[in-house]
Amino acid sequence: MTTVSARGLTKHFGVVRAVEDLTFEVPPGMVTGFLGPNGAGKTTTLRMVLGLIQPSAGEALIGGRRYQQLPLPRRVVGAVLEATGYHPGRRGRHHTRIAAGFAGADGRGIEHVLDQVGLLDAADRRVGSYSLGMRQRLGLATALLGDPEVLILDEPGNGLDPEGIAWLRHLLRGLAADGRTVLVSSHVLSEVAQTVDHVVIINSGRLRFSGPLRELASGTVAVRTSQPEELRRHLARRGYEVTMTGASTLEVRGATTEQVGQVAATAHVALSTLTDNGASLEEAFLRLTSSKEPAAATASS
Amino acid sequence: MSRLIVTELIKLRTIRSTWMLMGIQQAVVIASLCVLVVVGADLRASTAVRQFLSQAAFMSSLFSLVLGILAVAGEYRHRTITDAYLTTPRRGRVIAAKLLALTGISAILGVLSALTALGVTAVVMNIRDASFDLSSVETWRSVVGVIAGNALYAAIGVSIGALIRNPTGAIAAALLWITLAEGIVASLLRDLSQWLPNASLLALDYSPGRMASDSQLLPQWGGALVLAAYAAAFALLALATSVRRDVT
Repeated sequence: MTTVSARGLTKHFGVVRAVEDLTFEVPPGMVTGFLGPNGAGKTTTLRMVLGLIQPSAGEALIGGRRYQQLPLPRRVVGAVLEATGYHPGRRGRHHTRIAAGFAGADGRGIEHVLDQVGLLDAADRRVGSYSLGMRQRLGLATALLGDPEVLILDEPGNGLDPEGIAWLRHLLRGLAADGRTVLVSSHVLSEVAQTVDHVVIINSGRLRFSGPLRELASGTVAVRTSQPEELRRHLARRGYEVTMTGASTLEVRGATTEQVGQVAATAHVALSTLTDNGASLEEAFLRLTSSKEPAAATASS
Repeated sequence: MSRLIVTELIKLRTIRSTWMLMGIQQAVVIASLCVLVVVGADLRASTAVRQFLSQAAFMSSLFSLVLGILAVAGEYRHRTITDAYLTTPRRGRVIAAKLLALTGISAILGVLSALTALGVTAVVMNIRDASFDLSSVETWRSVVGVIAGNALYAAIGVSIGALIRNPTGAIAAALLWITLAEGIVASLLRDLSQWLPNASLLALDYSPGRMASDSQLLPQWGGALVLAAYAAAFALLALATSVRRDVT
């Protein structure tokens, strides 16, 4: 069980503040989406986590250690950063061989990962002849060589067809179910919404949200009743966030209509209206990534 | 470190450009010796074999230099350097492994070039009825020059590739220095010009009065030491900058 964490992670390229004071945790045993629009600082952050870019301030830790301090990093972290990191004249199998020794993998290990990503038949072709999707798979094969506890993938959906995306979702969920830590970046929430359990959202290099996906999407339930104060007390006692929106109306956050109705019934409060205002994931994501105010919403994880 | 060196050798042998470059290297060695014959080199002169070997050494070293440059700059170009540093985050070790692997490979290429040169020389001399004498110590000093020159130029190439990182830019800069810039600097430095890198290579190649300026060259061992010092200085610079630079 290895947690990936960032603490006050900051990177300035000259006057450009690419990443500003990022603090988040990527828990093991689930798939975490690292989301933000293009240019939000996702790749810079991932490269800092992997020791490729020196942070201006703060640090990123993998299981409590910096990447550079890992004795055999390929056996702890598997990373796929971009589809261009290949020599076009090299054969797929040879590409994986280069990292194999350090990942503790032998010839059988190479066969296994190539099979795992469905590249066994194309392994002896030169990478230059691969489609973008095949290159993504080859990168994944290399990342999986060391049977790592942590997987970090930068925009893995790029170049994959719908079938490939479904395959990737299945693979990532399986790896997370084994107790591994999986971090997947994307600039499209809908691409990963069905894969991730947890999300870290950044915009303009700053953290906007970090927490379970369901909390990101939590909409509100609007209630009208003749006993608003009575209902508010009961809902608050159950831990729901309640706002009085009028003399007889309430807004409840983090609850479903069923839950509010149940509370009202138990408290013998009569309701005249019970409506789900539910915000969609996409709306919540757009709200977080288009607004310019720096306030970060952080849900406990 | 041995696993790192093996990895570098796998990288080299799994791309075609390595093999092509090696092939062209031998072809150019042969072609340049043919040019020597055509322009009328005196095959009966006592220094004839040395002259052929030093010509081969110089041409061969250029290709070892390019091989060294591509070993690092090629990785930056294709972004495979990211994978290399992910595998070995202590980047100094990656650069050190490349230095050792390329120096070793190029020493072998130097042996190959010397054999090619001796073969061509033997054939040409046989045709022209000149005596081909391998027993001379001078000949073997020339052979050592070919091997050491290739090895050191490859090491310098690795460092240049690490410093400039763009293969085209790095190769252009290196060749421009050798063909043009050093000559200009040399004319300004006058007597001190013998300490310049390519002048050191020529001294190491042990060439017998191939150029008028050869009289100003260092002795062979001096050329070897100065070139080794350049290789070490470039290597230190390459190690220091590679460790700190962001890989984006």
